Amino acid sequence: MTSIKEEMWKTRGILFNFAMTDLKIRYKNSVLGVLWSILEPLLMLAVLFFVFSTMFKFEIENFPIYLLSGIITYNFFKNGTTIALSSLSNRSSLITQIYFPRSIPAISSTFTASIMLIVELAVLACFMVYFQFTPSLTILYLVPIYVLAFVLVLGIALGLSVLNVKFRDIEFIWGIILHAGFFLTPIFYRFDMLPEYVQNILQLSPVVQIVEMVHHVTLYGTLPSLNSVLYSVGSIFAILGIGYLIFRRYQARIVEEL
Amino acid sequence: MSENSITVTNVSKKFRVYHEKRTTLFESITGSVNRKPHHETLQVLDDISFNVKKGESFGIVGRNGSGKTTLLRILSNIYQPDSGSVETNGTVVPVLALGLGFHPDLTAITNIYQSSVLLGISKNDMAKKIDAVIKFAELEKFADTKIKNFSSGMQMRLAFSTAVQVDPAVLLLDEVIAVGDLNFQKKCLAVMDDFKKRGKSIVIVSHNPSDIKQLCDRALFLKDGHIESIGEPTAVLESYTNFMNAQDKRPYFKQLPF
Repeated sequence: MTSIKEEMWKTRGILFNFAMTDLKIRYKNSVLGVLWSILEPLLMLAVLFFVFSTMFKFEIENFPIYLLSGIITYNFFKNGTTIALSSLSNRSSLITQIYFPRSIPAISSTFTASIMLIVELAVLACFMVYFQFTPSLTILYLVPIYVLAFVLVLGIALGLSVLNVKFRDIEFIWGIILHAGFFLTPIFYRFDMLPEYVQNILQLSPVVQIVEMVHHVTLYGTLPSLNSVLYSVGSIFAILGIGYLIFRRYQARIVEEL
Repeated sequence: MSENSITVTNVSKKFRVYHEKRTTLFESITGSVNRKPHHETLQVLDDISFNVKKGESFGIVGRNGSGKTTLLRILSNIYQPDSGSVETNGTVVPVLALGLGFHPDLTAITNIYQSSVLLGISKNDMAKKIDAVIKFAELEKFADTKIKNFSSGMQMRLAFSTAVQVDPAVLLLDEVIAVGDLNFQKKCLAVMDDFKKRGKSIVIVSHNPSDIKQLCDRALFLKDGHIESIGEPTAVLESYTNFMNAQDKRPYFKQLPF
């Protein structure tokens, strides 16, 4: 068993190919298809903006930008893990006919989601221009934050890709978790609006941590606290480790289950 | 350099045959309480040893379910043997069942690239050969058609010509030759001859004794997972046809209503 990194280098051609075919199939080979990936978070934004600024009268500064930055960060997490979830089971005909390292689909799914994230970040930039919002230089910290998010998605992707072959209901369970996670993450509300004991529980989630960090560096021009950075790095690499162990446990026999 | 392109030593493989397969997490949790055995083991391959020399074509015969496809999958690294080892000298390209793991939603061209990247040929190298692949497969009009609109004959022709252009050290063919029309078969035979002359090996699985007799230098008769006979195609085919004729004496035909 070679390490993941070695596999990655040996087969970066396959990786690139899978990421591109993922996008092609997703967008049906059309340029117009890419529009859908932008439209989806924007529609979400419109609905949430309407509900929470006119109906519930939340008072959050720069609410559209607050909302959009949270939505696209959560979307990255959602897209990466969902594409990875079915990345092995959808390729059953390929896997039973040609050998390739089983980790490639999970890794390429994470890259596919990253490409989508970059497109969505471009939309966020347009929003900032439109609302005449000038972020401070701390916005450059988005790069390490999203690298951290990438590691998180990769860890979950590795585990889910093999588990979904073994247990077909993981797909539905994960769908519910993602749905609940959206409401339990400070996307359309501010984290400090919650009662303290709820905050204490929710901040255990690395996704909450990442979304909060994104808010810090884009909207407030502040840096996240050292504690939260240390906690996020620790928990995310632990998740990567667990995901890799699950992957390694099941990967050799996965083709017989397909 | 060894003389053999494939050396198989004492390979065994068991499969679990599930009576009622637990494919959901829920079922496997409830199933761990209810300890009724829900599967039995089937010995698909039992202590198989043989080798294929360079420049040799090797035939495998056997009735349905005797383990031929499992053996080819082990040769191409898709399945891991439970015990024993397989040594291959150079790349092995399997053309199994339907195509080369083609994706139904991608065009012929995209699929050729995907398969060849997976088989270790870079996209740039393949770009030089792609016209030859399409021309050999006689699919000039359908290069930009999605695979899902292809007939099984077209898929097989595409798979064969892609595999040939990848130019592997060993070519595994599972019931491939029978699919094409007479002219295509002639072309395949010419290509296979050329292959052998260049010191490459071919492993052919076929139900048609005359194919094996015509094409193979040596053959193997696989019966219920073990080697019944191996050696000269004529002798092997004789034991195969004797065995099949013995099976055929059972009065199946009388049971049919016409």
